[in-house]
Amino acid sequence: MIHRIIKQIQRYKGWVGAGAAVCLLTGTYLGLIASPPDYYQGEVVRIMYVHVPLAHTALLAYTVVFAGSIWYLWKRDRLIDNMCHAAAGLGFLFTGLALITGSIWAKPTWNTWWTWDPRLVSFAILFLILAGYLMLRTFLTEDPDRESRYAAVLAIVGFIDLPIIHFSVEWWRTLHQPLSISTRGVSISGELLLPLTIMSIGFHLLFAYMLMVRTQLLYLDELLQAKKGRLLTQMHLSRSQTSP
Amino acid sequence: MTGLYIRWGIFVLLAIILSMLVVRHYEAQLATVSPSDLILSPSTGSFRVQGMVKSGTLKGDVEQGAVQFELVDDAAAIRVQYHGPPPENLRELKTVVMIGTWDATARVFRAHEIALVSNYGFVASAYLLTFIPIGVFLFSMSRKVVVLMQAIKDSKLYEPEG
Amino acid sequence: MSFIKAIRWMVWKDLITEMRSRETLVSMLFFALIVILVFSFSFSMDHQAARELLAGIIWVAFAFTGIIGLGKSFLAELHNDCLEYLQMSPAPKGAIYLGKMTANFLFMLLAEVVLFPLFIIFFNLDVVEEIWILLVVFLLATEGLAAVGTLFSALTVQIRAREVMLPVLLLPMVIPVMIAAVESTRGALNGEPFALYSQWFHLLGVFDLIFTVVSYWLFELILDT
Repeated sequence: MIHRIIKQIQRYKGWVGAGAAVCLLTGTYLGLIASPPDYYQGEVVRIMYVHVPLAHTALLAYTVVFAGSIWYLWKRDRLIDNMCHAAAGLGFLFTGLALITGSIWAKPTWNTWWTWDPRLVSFAILFLILAGYLMLRTFLTEDPDRESRYAAVLAIVGFIDLPIIHFSVEWWRTLHQPLSISTRGVSISGELLLPLTIMSIGFHLLFAYMLMVRTQLLYLDELLQAKKGRLLTQMHLSRSQTSP
Repeated sequence: MTGLYIRWGIFVLLAIILSMLVVRHYEAQLATVSPSDLILSPSTGSFRVQGMVKSGTLKGDVEQGAVQFELVDDAAAIRVQYHGPPPENLRELKTVVMIGTWDATARVFRAHEIALVSNYGFVASAYLLTFIPIGVFLFSMSRKVVVLMQAIKDSKLYEPEG
Repeated sequence: MSFIKAIRWMVWKDLITEMRSRETLVSMLFFALIVILVFSFSFSMDHQAARELLAGIIWVAFAFTGIIGLGKSFLAELHNDCLEYLQMSPAPKGAIYLGKMTANFLFMLLAEVVLFPLFIIFFNLDVVEEIWILLVVFLLATEGLAAVGTLFSALTVQIRAREVMLPVLLLPMVIPVMIAAVESTRGALNGEPFALYSQWFHLLGVFDLIFTVVSYWLFELILDT
């Protein structure tokens, strides 16, 4: 059944991609040209329109990895595993970009590239966990079944750990020094909300589109490998039959 | 493969048009002259001067919004008279951008607005660092999908297993 | 074979092996000794600075020592295909996990109990009053490290580059344990009132509970064939 659903979804892939492109181009136009600068932050507030959606999309990507891992362990479907692998790769990319844009945003607003803010630290740890996930998968390629199983176990442990990490870092920071610079909440007025919403929709559509493309890529790759393997076995068999 | 390149070509074209629009939008705001440029070639109309407030020259009432000071760069200094809304962050030794007109006879720059020093570099680098890696990554993925499809179709591997 | 009995046999097997070879404990102890020495050279600490930094140093040393022990835990099973016999054995997989975890927990705790007096001697500590609080911290934090560590030891033992992968996967996951252990150890060493750092005990307890259950449940999937 799942294959039929995915086939249905893949039919609309082009529309998702086009929607993402339209939303991102409009969002960039609104964010960079049409929207006014923020009263307190000035022009740099425009970084928010890419930074916040990137961070949300990264969290969405990890949620997809987690849900997909549970689903894989339940149904043992190769396609679901390819989706987890794809979402992890994309989550790694989006987390990295969210960290970079956050750092660029922090420099003009707080005059520092990095602070030990709980959210920043949690994101850096998320980045490390996803890097470990991808490393585990690259080191385990000999046995695809075991690779997916181990990766799913790792993803589940990491996802459960993430809120605990966030809380512990938050406690740790409030204990040591009260945050000298307020890292909480830019007050978002209506004029800023419109480009933010459109960019957010755009990044989520972009993630969906990239997830489809990457899942397809990994699936085709595996298919080609499997067929090559089968061909080799067949050649091997036929040769051993013909030779005396 | 051709379809892929056409689609991406259209997208890249749109992105280039958009970025040109953005650059044109900010060009007027980015252009500033320094005090030494102003003395060498005085221009007319409203324009922007960027320089540092010379220490010890800030006079007048900041809260009333009527001050005068000298704006300097490495080589030259000009006198500035400011009338406008009370400036919040005008201090000595601070780099500011003043918007106003040049009075050539009195050799005074009559400013009516203080702008923040532009930090568009951060914004531009954040957008570029986000969209270029994502674009390159997505393009290489889409291309590889097409290549893989072709490889599976071309090879004899595609024949139904018998 | 009953569940409890299987756990007991797993622990017994690991302890016997260790008593005969003494491989794990000796390497853990010497490694930790070297870590202590390197730290004391690289910080050249006076008494005051030591109190601020010491909690962190103690737990970094313990965590890396623990990783040495955890890495060896399933590596020993690779020889003579012991891992496959464990997979085939009728004992419940959960019991194998709990037995392995208990053995790892005991090794790590033993190393800590031997090492901590060295810290007291090298850094002139005075911990007579807080020794019971510290002992509880050691118990809880070591349990947390062993719970996740045993799972990840089984996860990494059969892959390439396992020496690198175990710390790379384990250390980000146990950051809550490290923070809680360091903070409560620092509180105890500085002689602060218990109420100031009791929250970290709750965190350690919750972490231990969650990850013992989760790892117990997931371990079956790793030993699956």
